[in-house]
Amino acid sequence: MNEAEIIQNLKKGDEKAFRVLVDKYRQLVVNTCFGLVHNIEDAEDIAQEVFIEVFRSISDFRGESKISTWLYRIAVNRSLNYIRDNKRRKWFTSIEDTAKSKKTIPHDVHNENYHDTNREIENKQRAEILHKAIDGLPKNQKIAFTLNKYENLSYKEISEVMLLSVSSVESLIHRAKKNLQKKLYAFYKNNWI
Amino acid sequence: MKCKKIHNKLIFFLDGDLSSNEEKQIKDHLTECPDCAAFADHLKKTLNVIQSEKSPEVNPFFYTRLKAKIEDQAAASQKLHSWISLEKILQPVFFTLLLTAGIYAGYKVAEPENAQVDQLSYNEDQIIPYLDEMQVETIETFLMDE
Repeated sequence: MNEAEIIQNLKKGDEKAFRVLVDKYRQLVVNTCFGLVHNIEDAEDIAQEVFIEVFRSISDFRGESKISTWLYRIAVNRSLNYIRDNKRRKWFTSIEDTAKSKKTIPHDVHNENYHDTNREIENKQRAEILHKAIDGLPKNQKIAFTLNKYENLSYKEISEVMLLSVSSVESLIHRAKKNLQKKLYAFYKNNWI
Repeated sequence: MKCKKIHNKLIFFLDGDLSSNEEKQIKDHLTECPDCAAFADHLKKTLNVIQSEKSPEVNPFFYTRLKAKIEDQAAASQKLHSWISLEKILQPVFFTLLLTAGIYAGYKVAEPENAQVDQLSYNEDQIIPYLDEMQVETIETFLMDE
């Protein structure tokens, strides 16, 4: 089934078309959500809400953009809503707290798994540091950066999702990288040297 | 190139966003400056986390759970609709009863009192003279007494 057929059959309430849509685009949606919320279970929950919304509002889709663009937009909005709603529940740990936990790594060099464990912990900490740095970006910079890095979208594709000009997207990503670098350097200077 | 300038451009260098001239300058600096090289290595490893996180494995039961969720929501929505239609009947009945009760209460409050008192019915003329003694004694009589 091509895109037009999927949309046509979905509007008729065809479950097969919905299954095809989900199978074709679930990785895209989950990946986008994961890039923003950094947790696979939450990303899958949000992705399900995205597809439910698509199922409910397919009659409103006029086909002016690609299905993928529409899905990206809903995924981004749902993810941001989720982050906003869960901000209070999340216990904020600063980047420095994450670094302090590095100092508690057991230094049992006689443990044959010591180096693997240490590397695993270090990778996990790098991931936490990166997520916090990305989460600290202004909203639009975060969206543009995530779509570019996690979904490999071009500036043009991002501009269609975010309804901005290509030059605006370019500027957003440039500033996002600059801000990320600043945060990561500050952390590195204070904690890892 | 000074270290501070290098640090500001490192992320763009790692992403391949710089001109070849700038790239060469940074590469040369990194070979000479161990501090900048260490930070560049740290930055590279941190950004590489994105590559390892891309396209996480999706739960194989994703569609099954999704379908179950849609069916649950449809059932809940149907239940809500039946409550709403019941409400459409109950609400007018309730307000009609309330209005009737209000009218009846208002009628009862406004009903005139039946004040028939047989034993002590005072005539107005009999009371006032005791209150207003000027009626009994004229002013001339009053002044002449003084």
